[in-house]
Amino acid sequence: MIILGNEIDILTFLILAPFFGALLVASLPANKWIARWTALGIGIALFGVSVAVFMDYQANATNGEFYLQESYRWFTVLGASWSVGIDGISASMVLLTGLLTPLAILISWEVSDRPNMHLALLLMFEGASMGVFLAMDLMVFFLFYELSLVPMYFLINQWGSPPQKEVKFTGRIYASTKFLLYSMGGTLGMLLATQLIGFTAGTYEIAEIARSTGDWLAASRSDAAFLGVSVGTVKALAFFGFFVAFAIKVPIWPFHTWLPDAHGEAPTAGSMLLAGVMLKLGAYGFIRLVVPFFPDVWVANVPLLGVNWATLFAFLSMLGIVLGAFAAFGQNDIKRLVAYSSVNHMGFVGIGIAAFAVLYGEAWVAEQSAIASESMVDASTALNGTVMQMFNHGLSSAGMFLLAGGIYHKTHTRDLTQYGGFWVKAPIFGGLFVFMSMSSLGLPGLNGFVGEFLIVRGTWPVFTWLTVLSMIGLLFTGSYILKGIRYTLHGEFNMHWKDYNLEVDWREFTAVFVLGIFIVWTGLAPNWILDTINSSVTLILTNILG
Amino acid sequence: MIPLWLYLMVSAALFSIGTFGVLSRRNGVAVLMSVELMLNAVNINLIAFWRYLTPTEINGFAFTAFVVVIAAAEAAVGLAIIISVYRSRRSVIPEEADMLRG
Amino acid sequence: MGLDVIFDFLGQAFTDRNLMLWLIPLGPLSAFVLISFITLILWLVRQVTGTQENMIPASDHHYNDHHHPDYGGMEVPYQPDWFRVTAVVIGMAGIIWALIISWTLVFGALNDFGAGTFGSLDSAAYYGDDSHSEGDESHSEDEAHGDDHGSSADCAPCVYSDEITWMSIGAEGDTTGVVPDESTDYEIGVLLDPLNITLLFMVPIAMLGIFTYSIGYMAHDARQAKFFALISLFATAMFVLTIADNLMMLFVGWEIMGFCSYSLIGFWYEKRSAYKAAIKAFTVTRVADVVMLLGIVYLWNIAGTLNFRDILYNPEVLQMIGSTPAIIFGGFGMSAAGLIGVFLLIGTVGKSAQFPLHVWLPDAMEGPTPVSAMIHAAAMVSAGVYAIIRMYPLFVALTNPHASDPTFSAPLIIMAVVGSFTALFAATMGVAQRDVKAVLAYSTISQLGFMVAALGVGAYIAATFHLITHAFFKALLFMASGAVIHAMEHGEHHVHEHHAAHGHDDHAHDEHHDEHGHDEHHADDEHGVHFDPQDMFNMGGLNKRIPVTFWTFLAGGFSLAGFPLITAGFWSKDEILAESWFGFVAHGSGLHAMVFFVLALAAFLTAFYTMRQIALTFLGEPRTEEAEHAGLGGQYNIVSITMQAPLILLAVFALGAGFIGVPDDFPIFGAIFSPEHNYFHHLVIYALPFMENGGSEVFHVDAPAFNIIPVAVSFIVALGGLWLGWKMYGEKPLEAGEEDPLIKYLGEPIYTALQNRYYMDDLYDLIFVRPAQWISRGVITLLDKGIIDTVLHTLGFVFTVIGDFIKVMNKWLIDGVGDGVPKGIWDFGGWARQAQNGRIQFYLLIVLAAVLVIGVIFAITTGAVLAS
Repeated sequence: MIILGNEIDILTFLILAPFFGALLVASLPANKWIARWTALGIGIALFGVSVAVFMDYQANATNGEFYLQESYRWFTVLGASWSVGIDGISASMVLLTGLLTPLAILISWEVSDRPNMHLALLLMFEGASMGVFLAMDLMVFFLFYELSLVPMYFLINQWGSPPQKEVKFTGRIYASTKFLLYSMGGTLGMLLATQLIGFTAGTYEIAEIARSTGDWLAASRSDAAFLGVSVGTVKALAFFGFFVAFAIKVPIWPFHTWLPDAHGEAPTAGSMLLAGVMLKLGAYGFIRLVVPFFPDVWVANVPLLGVNWATLFAFLSMLGIVLGAFAAFGQNDIKRLVAYSSVNHMGFVGIGIAAFAVLYGEAWVAEQSAIASESMVDASTALNGTVMQMFNHGLSSAGMFLLAGGIYHKTHTRDLTQYGGFWVKAPIFGGLFVFMSMSSLGLPGLNGFVGEFLIVRGTWPVFTWLTVLSMIGLLFTGSYILKGIRYTLHGEFNMHWKDYNLEVDWREFTAVFVLGIFIVWTGLAPNWILDTINSSVTLILTNILG
Repeated sequence: MIPLWLYLMVSAALFSIGTFGVLSRRNGVAVLMSVELMLNAVNINLIAFWRYLTPTEINGFAFTAFVVVIAAAEAAVGLAIIISVYRSRRSVIPEEADMLRG
Repeated sequence: MGLDVIFDFLGQAFTDRNLMLWLIPLGPLSAFVLISFITLILWLVRQVTGTQENMIPASDHHYNDHHHPDYGGMEVPYQPDWFRVTAVVIGMAGIIWALIISWTLVFGALNDFGAGTFGSLDSAAYYGDDSHSEGDESHSEDEAHGDDHGSSADCAPCVYSDEITWMSIGAEGDTTGVVPDESTDYEIGVLLDPLNITLLFMVPIAMLGIFTYSIGYMAHDARQAKFFALISLFATAMFVLTIADNLMMLFVGWEIMGFCSYSLIGFWYEKRSAYKAAIKAFTVTRVADVVMLLGIVYLWNIAGTLNFRDILYNPEVLQMIGSTPAIIFGGFGMSAAGLIGVFLLIGTVGKSAQFPLHVWLPDAMEGPTPVSAMIHAAAMVSAGVYAIIRMYPLFVALTNPHASDPTFSAPLIIMAVVGSFTALFAATMGVAQRDVKAVLAYSTISQLGFMVAALGVGAYIAATFHLITHAFFKALLFMASGAVIHAMEHGEHHVHEHHAAHGHDDHAHDEHHDEHGHDEHHADDEHGVHFDPQDMFNMGGLNKRIPVTFWTFLAGGFSLAGFPLITAGFWSKDEILAESWFGFVAHGSGLHAMVFFVLALAAFLTAFYTMRQIALTFLGEPRTEEAEHAGLGGQYNIVSITMQAPLILLAVFALGAGFIGVPDDFPIFGAIFSPEHNYFHHLVIYALPFMENGGSEVFHVDAPAFNIIPVAVSFIVALGGLWLGWKMYGEKPLEAGEEDPLIKYLGEPIYTALQNRYYMDDLYDLIFVRPAQWISRGVITLLDKGIIDTVLHTLGFVFTVIGDFIKVMNKWLIDGVGDGVPKGIWDFGGWARQAQNGRIQFYLLIVLAAVLVIGVIFAITTGAVLAS
């Protein structure tokens, strides 16, 4: 990007600036107001940069190809380099990260215990997420993927909620440990797979491997052996390594049980970023790496089961949708209810990815001659919907956690049954809460609908019965959302809270308002972002041709 | 003329007496006095060698003068130490002043 | 970009009628947005200035009416009166805007194209090779707004429409041909054709009535501004649904309407019954909506578009959809069209409250009465039936219920069965209700059953006609019943004040308490309100106290009952019966026969319970003191005027709207009202061309010829039902405390079962709600915490055990090697430090020894050197 006549590597700046910002905030004097305003200023400035990058991409990128690419010597022994670049899919994610971080910072002003470190960790998390979304090199990707765990672990571990008395396996220590161990355990296989791919393909360039010009895919089209093992086995192992790592992060059922704990116990800003950004890292990994790298494995049969990997994945996603919705409906803890709603919503992301993967894989195996145009419409719709859903879930789940965290902060309880009738005393909070809930529910006219509609459209011809079954989940989405509203806002006012100020303050209002602009805008005219996403989705599809 | 070795014998005897005093006396002042004896034995040694080997040079004589000055300074500092140790420990016996023990 | 784009658009929109369609929902939408923003700004200003003037005690009379508890005087936010007035003005402006634009377009269309040609298809022009490719029709927002689709004489088809690109899916620069091109872009647009022209005539005027009525009805409610914002959004959604030219935009309006109904049914959210009803309404309709979503998705998948005209007026597409086996259930002979039809039908079953998803509608009257009118008449339930009529060519694809050998597709059979069953089923429940609004709620379900059944046998024009007339008289009836309730509450206030003045306590009416204690609607008990102003058995004699309401209610009620010749309801109901009779007699169709007889029976019951309601409510002498003092607060009171003026307006339509659809061969009336042809029939028929089996031929269904039998049946059931009701309730009005004479005839158990809706709510609670709750808890406790987390914890435990083992090993290792080396060094140091005893003489001794040793070594070595 050219700024004031100078060529500036804006993407590297976007990755590194948050880290320097974090250092700055951490080293500021222990005056919470200085720290808060500095962190907010950095967050807003970085949001401005994200918007600039997004608009520059929209204006100048061609056909959804990678844009603003830069590559530097970095880890020459391995052959890895510091490569960054942006395409339509990552541009939307960068925008999301850039948007949510200042809002999270604004919300975390309520933290008065070691505010400098808290805010610095939020910024550090932004840097790590930006790194994942902008990385074009597998090693860089892996580095930031792991790095993102660190700030989040400390956020939960240090600023989370205390354990409930008499209940085992609760509290911030349990939640943070589970979160860290689970995620780290998942990425072990990913590290191996990364090395395997890098070694086999001779490069760590994501785009190059995905474009299937490298030895990696060429070798697997013929059945050449690798280190005495067949290429198929090697690929299956690498696939499995990635699969588990990202499935934990998305999360795909049954790898999801870290999520309610982590989301429930994290401080409000942590929950916002966890749900809004961190879950997207996994889904992004699937889209960016697993589908393009292993088109043939997706349509290969799972040992012993007799269905292919994509179908298994879709089945698990469907279970996530249905069981996540049921679990959310059964919760009496408002933050865990919202947390389980993420399992439900990210299930749609999963099933969309599965539909795309199976169509992509079949087309790749068949090669150009036998590609059906109709199925490519389905694939394109499914992936467009998936990315839309990721973006929309980022907005609405962050908003839901924001409001749920706000009410927890004011009442110091997360138990829904102790709430009741808050609408009487807090009409603005009530309105915003209903608005956010409807966005989360997927009410047409708001953002959530667009993604779900496209995903259902894309998956219907591929996984018809699974789509039908996932409608049960969509139905119960309504039920748990209404349950949340009913216990919080409806009914007679619980006089226990008579002297509490339950209304939102200006920070919560501002944050929800900003999210609301994007929610309504995306709901009414989704093309402002869908157009960008679509261009890159199309490019991924054309890559099938090699 | 008296042969050199007689001077050296006297000096060695004196040095041995001083060494014995340093190692065996229980009184710190006596130890200090024994050190003076050892220094003077060295002085005798120096003077004797100067006179017999290089009587035209002045360096042996100069060394002796230095040693005398140092002996005076050492006596002053040593006495001061002994007095301050006495003040804190009520004793001038070196064996009891074992603050340097590791 | 910027304001000039908006000004350009507005400038064009006011001159180009294609674009003007976009402006219809803009009015109510702006009202919603404005009221919401003013609320927010008001709040923000107060946050910034820190004033507390918006807080008043909840027990204040401004805030506290019978819908809100007083909370022991807790302070609650309160909106100033000027803002409530502003909100009302904004809301009214929005709906009047929509009314003006809608009617401009409605009459403009009739004028531009002429009734009878509007929407007609010049088949050569319409189905020509190139004239209707998607690429020609569509244009993006910023180009070619000027091209008129239909203002010229050779319009084909004669409609107003406009489209914009909404979602881009597919490649822009792909040269390989693999990836779908821009034709997969999703476009949304607006359309005015003869079908929705009927709705666009009815909806805004009915809504104007409802809005006006709300001014008075909600005048004492502290949340009036919120009410007007939500009801404006409701209107927006209905307009979006009405003018949509594609199924997805219809679905958007459909769902937003669902949300608005949820918010408005639960408007008095402190009442348990209110929010429970709201949740029920939303959940039950959502069951249907998710299925409908599948239908939409399947249609989009198979047809490649959701545009009505591209699918429904396109024989090739219909042929293809109709002959493709369905993706699921295809093995049972279900075609894709059939499956899509069933899915869409389920959506309607939910939205239009057909059996078995009708349970939400009776509860929906928990909301304020204008909302009930909105849901039951103008908007929500009409939308369900409208969706079927809109997609009707798809429902009948490759079948023809009008042929001499009628064929019915799967969704059509379901419609006929479900519709006629619902009509009868709901009517039987209606006869035993005590609540004045509940009777109307069941009558709505029943009347919607009439429409759905009519659609099932192909009588879609009759169904459309009944949709319009029903909307008018049902909106009228609900608002009139609201006025009755308001009057009764007024009487209740009066009685309370009266008693308080004479030192009586508030429980003077305990004798009524037991009488209606079993009414589950009576949830107000917890607030200490012991009188149910909605129970018809507490009323009586209101005709003298609120005469305007009485006469308008009478007009609406007779229209509902189908009182012959002079009411709108008669003409539309008669047309349904005539069409089904025609199918039965002319083609020997059993389905037609079933529909005819069941609907006739339902119509009889309808007339009966309508008369029962009128008699119980208005006739005779007041049965309670409250009814004695009922009133709307004087003739020139603002409440009285705003609540009764809409009644008069709608009464005109409830009586007169039928005359636009009088069959032209009807004796006397046909000659008077339909000198040329049946206007309504002639208009709507061009909206929905039927496709002959082969697909290439378009034909229209003519109205059946006049037949005396269905007309006679219409006369008999309407008059007979009214007569029976009069005999039982009107001739000798009930005395205070007298029990319902119906109990004698039906027997206690049946009567109770009817009142309790055949216990279906309890059944659903048992088989759906409770299991769902069990499953939900089971998922958490058994699956997530039980199995998955136990596996994780076991895994963690195994690793801990392994860790412990390694720890033991490490202990040995670390003590032996890791700890051993430092320990050895430590011990050595401890030994060596003994030399440092602090005694100077000892040190000197060592120095001496060392010097001696070194001296000896030196001597030896030097000696050796010297010796060599």
